[in-house]
Amino acid sequence: MLGRRGALRYLAVPPYAWLGLFFVLPLVLVIAISLRPETGPIDFDDPWQLSLMQYQIVLETPAYLRLLGISILMAATVAATATLLAFPVAYFLTFRARERATFYLVLLLIPFATSYLLRVMAWRLMLGQEGAINSFLQFVGLTSEPLDLLLYSRAAVVLTLIYVWIPFAALPIYAAMQRIDRGHLEAAADLGAGPWSRFMRVTVPLALPGALAAFFMVFIPTVGEYVTPSLVGGTEGIMYGNLIQDFFTSAANWALGSAFSVFMLVVTLVLVVVALRLVDVRRVAT
Amino acid sequence: MLARTRPSHRRPAAIAAAVGATILLLSACNLIGGEPQELTVLEWGGYEIEDFWTDFQEANPEVAVEFEFGTSDADILGLMQAGSPADVFHFYTGWQEFYVDEGLVAEIDTSKLTNWDAVPAEMQALGQVDGKQYYIPWDWGYSSILYNTDEVPEVTSWDVLFNEDYAGHVSMWDDGPGAVTVSSYIHGYDETAVTDEQLADIEAEWTAQKPLNIHYWDSEYENLCPEVISGDIWVAYAWQGCFSAALAEGVPVAYANPEEGRNSWVGLYGISADADSPELALEFLDMKLAELTCENLVTQYYYGCPRTDVMEGITDEFIIEVLSIDDPTVLERTNFTPIITAEQRDAWTQMWTRVKAN
Repeated sequence: MLGRRGALRYLAVPPYAWLGLFFVLPLVLVIAISLRPETGPIDFDDPWQLSLMQYQIVLETPAYLRLLGISILMAATVAATATLLAFPVAYFLTFRARERATFYLVLLLIPFATSYLLRVMAWRLMLGQEGAINSFLQFVGLTSEPLDLLLYSRAAVVLTLIYVWIPFAALPIYAAMQRIDRGHLEAAADLGAGPWSRFMRVTVPLALPGALAAFFMVFIPTVGEYVTPSLVGGTEGIMYGNLIQDFFTSAANWALGSAFSVFMLVVTLVLVVVALRLVDVRRVAT
Repeated sequence: MLARTRPSHRRPAAIAAAVGATILLLSACNLIGGEPQELTVLEWGGYEIEDFWTDFQEANPEVAVEFEFGTSDADILGLMQAGSPADVFHFYTGWQEFYVDEGLVAEIDTSKLTNWDAVPAEMQALGQVDGKQYYIPWDWGYSSILYNTDEVPEVTSWDVLFNEDYAGHVSMWDDGPGAVTVSSYIHGYDETAVTDEQLADIEAEWTAQKPLNIHYWDSEYENLCPEVISGDIWVAYAWQGCFSAALAEGVPVAYANPEEGRNSWVGLYGISADADSPELALEFLDMKLAELTCENLVTQYYYGCPRTDVMEGITDEFIIEVLSIDDPTVLERTNFTPIITAEQRDAWTQMWTRVKAN
């Protein structure tokens, strides 16, 4: 008869198998394809030849590296802003909403009931020449004619992505804040700390692991984002993910597209590791 | 209480016999009927509508036609290479050789096509590679400059796409070979033999042109036409479908006849080398060329059709204007999309990604 530990081990098999089949294996395939020298869709019947040619193209083309840099900066801006804006949301849910917290949490998650595309398309209506924002600015007399800058710009991509990510970012911060022992806050108050001091010296440090998790949860997928830039970015808002999409679709160059993907993955992982080393979460939180 | 029946050794044998007979019967039906009664078509979104295969449907009501979709020529080629189950696939001029080189397409026996004689020889030739007929031509149309006549005076050259007066109201097609084509027209390059230096110049001029665009469009009816109709786009590389859509909405637009000539494209259908139903596929292609299906393409969707008799029978002034049917010189001023090599396709698309990345 299986012990509890043995049973748990078997329970872990399906998720590991799932991850292996649909995450690890495709990743290995992408890496393998990126090491092929040919252009065009891959014929798997062809003999496998190893080559770093695709990586040479990725690394020797300044325009590609520049765009990756821009995409990383955009992702960092989106992640930092979304995390900052999500922080008060999580704080409200944890400390102020009381018995209505579940209700507000459901409200927060309602946007996820609609399609991602629909939410981004809604921003096109908001940011367009005759959209809500331009109409409002003209109505209150701040502008005399519609601003061209709003839609089809890098700012539009950042703005839309921040909106999309705020509810996601609020969840890990909320979870971290729920774990804060109220006794710490009471002790701080007893020792004469005011509300602001308690917030800055108790709540923020203890919620920081959640905030960091939120930052990276937003940052990592945003670096490779391509749907939002396609819809609201125009020529200025193009991101690295759009080039990867191009290589797999319009350019039909799977090997180069794979090299782009692997390079982006490696750069993103390196950045995450470096950031985590710079910010020692455990030290900050204690 | 249910009465128990006596176990019988005959029952399994009887069941096996019945199953065997059924299988034999089904097999016989299949043999009698010829091929399986289903057909898969790898198409572009929007082309699955019944108007576009109405004759086939009428002649073969028992056949289930399934559609799979590709988003670009490269995507369709990729799907075919990845082993798409499609019996029939649809792509556009410039990509004919790739399917032949990769062994993905079957040669067509045109003697079995009842509508083939209605297609002029020049159109038939577009479906040939090395003298063999691999494809049938179907939809055709133009690429040119679509412009808003309230904002832009008469356009006489493709170089209007580079005019800074229209900054923020230009939209170029998101396509590397398309960009090379436009530059070749403007500078008089031989499109089929663009040198490395010429390609570098093309890259530089499109990089400089990039800020003029509101965006690069990749879907005619999703992010080109709506903004031509709303008045945000004044100058665009466009197909005539968008011109007709904007005209129908009462937008003041014109479709240029540039001095360098318009571009013309033709859609082609091929039969997969691995088709499960090659005979049905051939009939599907034949019925694509049938009169009513062909006519639907022209009268309902304003694309050209390869049948001369159908095109000559068009009396609608609107369609005549859109397709320049009454202009006897239009062919002389039209540049047909050439067949490009895999190396050219790759170099041109990479050039375009660098433009986009800059």
